[in-house]
Amino acid sequence: MSAVAQDAAASVERVGVLGFGTIGAGVAHVAAGAGCSVTVLGTDGSHLDAGFARLDRFLARGVSAGDTSDAEASELRGRITGATDPSALAAAQLVIEAVSEELDAKHAVLSRVTSLLGPDALVATTTSTLSVTSLAAAVPDPARFGGLHFFDPAPLTRLVEVVAAEQSSPETLERLQAFVRRAGKTPVVVKDRPGFLVNRLLTPYLNQAVQALDDGVATAEDIDRSVRLGLGYPMGPLELLDLIGLDVHLRTTTAVYEQLLATPFTPPPMLERLVAAGRTGRKAGSGFFEHREEGQQ
Amino acid sequence: MSEGRGRAAATRRVGVLGAGTMGVGIAVVMARAGHEVLVRDIDDARVSSGLEQIERFFDRSVSIGKLEADKRDSILQRVGGTSQLEDLAACEVVVEAVFEDVELKAATFGALDSICSTETLFHTNTSTLSVTAIAAGSKHPERVIGTHYCNPAPLMKLVEVVRGRRTSEETYGATVELVEGLGKEIVTTADTPGFLVNLFLVPFENDCIRALEAGLGSVESIDTAVKLALRYPLGTFELLDVVGLDVHRAVSLSLYDQLKDPRFAPPPIVDRMISAGQLGRKTGEGFYSYDTKGVMGT
Repeated sequence: MSAVAQDAAASVERVGVLGFGTIGAGVAHVAAGAGCSVTVLGTDGSHLDAGFARLDRFLARGVSAGDTSDAEASELRGRITGATDPSALAAAQLVIEAVSEELDAKHAVLSRVTSLLGPDALVATTTSTLSVTSLAAAVPDPARFGGLHFFDPAPLTRLVEVVAAEQSSPETLERLQAFVRRAGKTPVVVKDRPGFLVNRLLTPYLNQAVQALDDGVATAEDIDRSVRLGLGYPMGPLELLDLIGLDVHLRTTTAVYEQLLATPFTPPPMLERLVAAGRTGRKAGSGFFEHREEGQQ
Repeated sequence: MSEGRGRAAATRRVGVLGAGTMGVGIAVVMARAGHEVLVRDIDDARVSSGLEQIERFFDRSVSIGKLEADKRDSILQRVGGTSQLEDLAACEVVVEAVFEDVELKAATFGALDSICSTETLFHTNTSTLSVTAIAAGSKHPERVIGTHYCNPAPLMKLVEVVRGRRTSEETYGATVELVEGLGKEIVTTADTPGFLVNLFLVPFENDCIRALEAGLGSVESIDTAVKLALRYPLGTFELLDVVGLDVHRAVSLSLYDQLKDPRFAPPPIVDRMISAGQLGRKTGEGFYSYDTKGVMGT
């Protein structure tokens, strides 16, 4: 890393986060954990309350699991404030967009906020399925724009994909990587291609597992056991889908398919059937497996 | 099997065909579980080499304190070798681990028909071929079943038990009992190309190679992504270097021939690397470079 980039990274002290859903709360958590003061932009008071409640639940789980102390958790929580007025983010040196996965919604919030920022501020999107290059077109200085693709749950996963838009400057990519490292995570720089790198590789495998089950190659339990025991993967593909959410995976694979028109990304019919039946995974209490207890929580 | 069931500790006479890596590994697993093992290969040199490897495995178990010396001696007393197929006449189970060629495997079971008893279980350790097609070489396809051990067989827990179209319930039941007695975990699969493990692994590996070719990442960044985001124990390119590019190509092509699914086709860089002698760890260079001890370089 160049000295300039190191200085620039050190100078990211104020982070703005746009959106307070699962990813927004996770990113706020990560940025505050890196020692930054974080302002989260929500649509209204109840949106912010829901986001803070989500964040607090996550922090409480970390404390009860012994991952963090009570003092650390409340110190981290104290670095995060909510706002509904975009001008509260004007002093941010890095703004991370994490609103719903729709091009128009992202464009709207990006153009509203980025015009208020200083001339050195970086802007990043957490999109998993949209083109970072097309989102860069919504900001005044696309050279200072890039992707930061976090994996859910953001505070716990170790990898962040730093997505290079066609317009991203090398310095922007270095500064984004430095931010990721400072947050204790490992960055990999990836190109702006559908699914980036990880989802590009993971999605066909997950679809194939669903199809194998539908084809009667083996039971759901045996499909999962085969990769856990035979390949040493931490989870089987079907339990992973139940965790991700079948609806979330259906959206991802559909979005990538629409961009690549490549068969491995075609949503498997069984996935669509289960989503239509409301069996979207753990959160619904049922997916490929039954999760009665988790679903009731 | 009736005779075998009556014997103490359910000791079986197990024949292992092929003294290559898989045959040796399976022989170790069988002997360790208390069975009598007869390893057969086509000439004495291969047989002795296989027996030496089996001995070395148990010597090492003793030297690292995992096995007592007298236990090793009694295990090795139950292990023999032969180059004569006829010597497998008394085997209650024959595990075939010969070269991955469907005609060879089918002919092998055909030859065993007239040698073994009418109750002998025929296990094939094929990884990519059709169990049904192999079973068709025998007059008793109902006694033929796939038992796919993962490499290295003594260490890996999983065995895929593959039912061919004509495999009987009795054969399946007796096989599950035997394999569970080896301390293995079983998954049962239909006789579909790649079974489960290779069905998922091989196209994923090829997808990673194609991502590399397309410039979506480097060898290092793809391996990092796979290990940190997906928490796989090895990066794909690390794993391919262990497996060997030549082996990966053969497995890919066999599955592609059966499935006609482009994800299984080995990407062109695999051929280039094989032409250049970059087969992985065993040649000192693959996706990574290795020093003489097989340690990854930078």
